[in-house]
Amino acid sequence: MLKALFKKQLMEVNSWLIQNKKSGKHRSRGGMLLYALLYAVIFVGLGAVFYFVGASLCAPLVSAGLGWLYFAMMSLMALLLGVFGSVFSTYATLYQAKDNTFLLSMPIPPRAILEVRLFAVWMWGLIYEAIVFIPALVVYWQNAAELGCLSAAAVVLDVLLLLVLSVLVLTLTCALGWVVARISSRLKNKSVAAVLASLLFLAGYYYVYFRASAILQHVLQNAGAIGESIRGAAVPIYWMGRAGEGDLLSMLFFGLLVLALFALACWILSRSFLKMATTNRGAAKRTYRESAARQRSAAGALLFKERSRFFASATYMLNCGLGTLMLVVLGILALVKGPWLRDLMAETGFSGAPLALMACAVLCVMTAMNDISAPSVSLEGKNLWLVQVLPVSAWQVLQAKLKLHLLMTEVPTLFCAVCMAIALRPGVFFSIMLAAVPMLFVLFSACFGLTVNLKTPNLKWSDETVPVKQSMGVMLSMFGGWALVAAMCMLYLLLNKYLSPELYLLCVAAAVAAACAGLLLWLKNRGARIFREL
Amino acid sequence: MLKIEHLTKIYGDKKAVDDLSLHIRPGEIYGFIGHNGAGKTTTIKACCGILQQEEGDIWIDGVSIREDPLGCKAKLAYIPDNPDLYEFMTGIQFLNFVADIFGVSAEDRRERIRKYADAFELTGDLAQPTSAYSHGMKQKLAVISALIHQPRLVIMDEPFVGLDPKASHLLKGIMRDICDGGGAIFFSTHVLEVAEKLCDKVAIIKNGKLIKSGTMEEVKGDTSLEDVFLELEGEAEC
Repeated sequence: MLKALFKKQLMEVNSWLIQNKKSGKHRSRGGMLLYALLYAVIFVGLGAVFYFVGASLCAPLVSAGLGWLYFAMMSLMALLLGVFGSVFSTYATLYQAKDNTFLLSMPIPPRAILEVRLFAVWMWGLIYEAIVFIPALVVYWQNAAELGCLSAAAVVLDVLLLLVLSVLVLTLTCALGWVVARISSRLKNKSVAAVLASLLFLAGYYYVYFRASAILQHVLQNAGAIGESIRGAAVPIYWMGRAGEGDLLSMLFFGLLVLALFALACWILSRSFLKMATTNRGAAKRTYRESAARQRSAAGALLFKERSRFFASATYMLNCGLGTLMLVVLGILALVKGPWLRDLMAETGFSGAPLALMACAVLCVMTAMNDISAPSVSLEGKNLWLVQVLPVSAWQVLQAKLKLHLLMTEVPTLFCAVCMAIALRPGVFFSIMLAAVPMLFVLFSACFGLTVNLKTPNLKWSDETVPVKQSMGVMLSMFGGWALVAAMCMLYLLLNKYLSPELYLLCVAAAVAAACAGLLLWLKNRGARIFREL
Repeated sequence: MLKIEHLTKIYGDKKAVDDLSLHIRPGEIYGFIGHNGAGKTTTIKACCGILQQEEGDIWIDGVSIREDPLGCKAKLAYIPDNPDLYEFMTGIQFLNFVADIFGVSAEDRRERIRKYADAFELTGDLAQPTSAYSHGMKQKLAVISALIHQPRLVIMDEPFVGLDPKASHLLKGIMRDICDGGGAIFFSTHVLEVAEKLCDKVAIIKNGKLIKSGTMEEVKGDTSLEDVFLELEGEAEC
């Protein structure tokens, strides 16, 4: 029985490779191979990053007799990636699996179901952990071999440490996954909270990324003091590091501690599994209180629908609306750093018209980060019948999709353009063009995204990440927008002998406006017909 | 109220609906029965303007759905068999959205929402997102949204699936009230007992073709609707 359950769980784990999430169909052998290769490249690429991090730390620490600190640091990084990589799917895998009811209705002890689910969580944690830890081991073995201090026992204990760490990842993931799920189930504005958490995570990531070199330098310069404080205040971390160096006793202490924590987690889970797997606490219930309804026009109601859809989905907001935030941030940055930027430009002699052109290009690139209209048709999904049965025309529906894109992008674009104009002081003409060209470009992006989506709609998705992240419309809208800006810059470099910057910008504005007019006309006629016949 | 003339709908090389004609007058509850895949849902979706037919035409209250689809849609309401509602809206937001589209005044919608939500015991859940609703609750919300603009014609696909007995009873009463007010109901069902008790007229469809229609007495005579349906199904198979 346990074998059958493990087989089922492995099939579930492997489904990412075997099954195409877009179509729900199995991939061909070639498709599977390509997909596996793609992930292998990603994992190897990430592994290479950690290899170089390890390489910069290992030699100085090992030669200073602080090899344990190297292992402690790399193990903590592996733990961090292992836990954060799998924590968000843990609760769903452990407690909210779709087949819980089915399995519990069969003569299977709940403990066996839990064991199999834990196995799946452990596997994902191990994969994430290995991305950091295996390159770290390779670096250590290379350095230790060069210094002649690599023993067979150390190699065996290192591999054992990889496994022990994976058990710690599993334990921490189970605990944190439970906390995440409890918090998210009680949140009222889940999507907004998810967006804020993701933005904070991104900000933290980039902070660490840009400070990584300084942090590593700090660690290397103060390795002795840091090592002493860890030994004094966090002995298990010291054991963890010493175990990596091949100290059997430390491995024993660390292993026993991890096993004790895991046993405690298992004991708590086995006591609560059945209850949690069969109870749906749901979100906090809101009480309805009748209030005066605000009457909207049909166009207003459709825009409200699009807006509700956008703000209800963290995936949609993060993947298709990040430009809104970036434009505001860029505008504020331009204001704050304006004097510094002007001084810099004056020093380099890069000012006036070329600077205004570059600012225009930067603004256009930023606006292309918003591709709200690009998945909007596909996102109708199973709800398509509603707009088809209501007395609204297809063009009205499409207009609402365009309006949301424009509202979410034009306003911050104008704000950013004004801020840039204040900061760069490019003169009246360029100040106007700094706002006009990107705003026209926004309209073009909105129409282009919608057009591509109408030509390549996907209404049969079960997970909204498919239309939002993996659709042709989204890819073409964002990367196509950037490519277009790059092409316009290249064109200017080719034509600047013949056209003044003012004339070139006017030509660009006219070309984008003409493209917008063409796309709008297509959307109103052919596009609306396609939408009606979906 | 609803006139279907020589409706033909083709999927690939298969005729889902084949030269179907029906006439539903004001005041009639018209049942539409047939086996799975007979063409009921396709016919219903064509009547609502969701699907476009290859041949034939459909008139709602004298207006062709081909010529004035929005005018037709403004007069009808559709309740699907599996109501996929906007899960990113709360129940009340969804009802207000539909009311806005139909241009129902704030006063009228408040009165109607209160009336129907109370009747279907859904008032307490209107502030919840529809993603938290059970199938039955979604069905009730779809029914309320369909009634919010007081449609002349209500087209329903398996309307009683998922409804509790009390809600089913209530819906039957509402259906009769709409007809008494000069409206009409056209609905598909697999529950022949319901059709027999509720419908003034009935149509039986098999493999896209209309095989029998008329008043309940004309169709079933002295036997039950179930016997007639099974007999016709058997005949058609022979």
